[in-house]
Amino acid sequence: MSIDHLTHPTVRPAAAPPASAVHGRWREAAARLVAFACEMHARYQCALFRIGLSGLVLAYLLREWPHRRVLYGDRSPWALDLAARLVAENHAFTVLTWSAGRWWFECVYHGAILVAALLMLGWRTRATSVLFMLAVLSLQNRNPLIGDGGDNVIGVMAIYLAFTRCGAVWSLDARRNRRDRRAGRVDRAGFVMWQILGVALLWVSDGFQGTAWAAVLWAFWACQGLWYAARRWSRGAWSRELLDAAATMLHNCAMLVIAAQVCLIYATAGWYKIQGTRWQDGSGLHYALHLDYFSPWPGLGSLLASHMLLIVLLGYGTVVVQVAFPFLLGYRRLKTALLGLMILEHAGIAVLLGLPFLSAAMVVCDAVFLPTALLKPSRRSSGSRPKR
Amino acid sequence: MADAGGTGPGRSLPSLVILAVTAVVLLGAVCWHLATLFLAVTPDNPVKSRYAHLINGHVYPEFPQGWQLFAPEPLHENVIVEARVRTAPDSGNSHTGQWANLTAHDVAAIRHHPVPSHAHQNMLRLAWNFYQNSHSRRDVPLGTRGILFAEYVKRIALQRVEGRRGGERVVAVQLRVTAKPVAPPRWSDRASSARSTRHRTLPWWSVKDEDRRGL
Repeated sequence: MSIDHLTHPTVRPAAAPPASAVHGRWREAAARLVAFACEMHARYQCALFRIGLSGLVLAYLLREWPHRRVLYGDRSPWALDLAARLVAENHAFTVLTWSAGRWWFECVYHGAILVAALLMLGWRTRATSVLFMLAVLSLQNRNPLIGDGGDNVIGVMAIYLAFTRCGAVWSLDARRNRRDRRAGRVDRAGFVMWQILGVALLWVSDGFQGTAWAAVLWAFWACQGLWYAARRWSRGAWSRELLDAAATMLHNCAMLVIAAQVCLIYATAGWYKIQGTRWQDGSGLHYALHLDYFSPWPGLGSLLASHMLLIVLLGYGTVVVQVAFPFLLGYRRLKTALLGLMILEHAGIAVLLGLPFLSAAMVVCDAVFLPTALLKPSRRSSGSRPKR
Repeated sequence: MADAGGTGPGRSLPSLVILAVTAVVLLGAVCWHLATLFLAVTPDNPVKSRYAHLINGHVYPEFPQGWQLFAPEPLHENVIVEARVRTAPDSGNSHTGQWANLTAHDVAAIRHHPVPSHAHQNMLRLAWNFYQNSHSRRDVPLGTRGILFAEYVKRIALQRVEGRRGGERVVAVQLRVTAKPVAPPRWSDRASSARSTRHRTLPWWSVKDEDRRGL
């Protein structure tokens, strides 16, 4: 940079004019900060998160396929009119109240399966990540009364994911971009898809009454349009570079929010447990292992519960790790071991308490903190840094 | 982090200004969002109560923060929901059926299944929770949600009981709920202070044809 000589203007003799020196120093600091903010962080973590989250939703939708109509569809005890009354009150987003026809429900459910699969593969992630968010929210808000903590995590994270550039690596998008660049081709299918989605959005625009969703979706669409316009008409790369930088900044913010949300989940779960007398006296796990709704393998649960030392240590260990989680992320070596421990614990919960989707959702969240070196050893020195 | 500014092409002043403004706006939004989420999970405090409408307006309905999983106390009761129906055959005499244990059916479906369905693990269990939290002890609904949740519980019971009965027309349904505390471990101080089983029988709910819509 041409302004490098102004790094320490204050220690120089009066030769440099103070006003411009201060100006230059500020500009350099701003340039550094902006450069840091516009550099893409956690691209591998984000791709892993995308694959994990969409794969999890895909598995969930396939598992619940036989029960789909009772859970979210026309045979649900939470009838469509009950759902519509609750939605009218709390303004939750769902497209399933738009029509009572069974065809509409089946379209949305199977569309959700398709979108989850496409997002997992990384096909047109700018569009599929938004559609994925809409599909997840639509199903969850059609019947919010059957969702447990796992559904809560998935719903919130699906929203955050739509704001990331989750297709930068490990995706069909990345492969297509590489090939296009090598062959000097310009991708046209994406532009056509953007037009189709615009027409579709125009069609349904009055279906989001009482919420900001229409504005959010139009904003997504307009930004993508701006990006196409910049690529098509801009002389020089200025506007293109600017949009790219802003999108990357948004991605970084979304990843920061995801990381903070995970910390908040663990901290809340941990700090509130500390206040419970059953966790204090070490018997908390004993109760969890004796609940009929959470014991798919009662023999295994009882076997574990009969060991006093094990129950107390595991109970205390859980609380300690959950409370310590946000604070241990700063220590890189310790962090990887901690994440391994968390993943093991979640695997145990998945089997013992019969909560595979909740556990898998938390494992996917843990994966956001894995160091880049572990995810992509050959690119150790590349631009992407591990998330904290 | 230290070399972040040194690499890459230098940006012109206009782009720097635009990007800096964008960064400030985005960071502001992130801070606002995280602060709201944080206040949503804190225990009650003066800040939270003063800005409750702002916090709730942002967090609900799409960012609910229900992370008190098994906390502060783990669940320590096995709640069993039973239902029975009154049927009215054409001859006129109504007949009250046997209690059907709906929970036992769920538990049997979960047992030895590595991936239990929400239909068995969550539907009835949470429906009863929602009912309980939206009704007084004397089964008076608190607000619109109480009415909606009662309808939901009734329809779950109807769907499950009617599915097993052939032909006869159900005119009323009743629920009975038993909460059995999990016995404390032998080595715990609590062993002596174990609570007793609680029963709760709900009033008969009449069933109309429209209550069966879609079931």
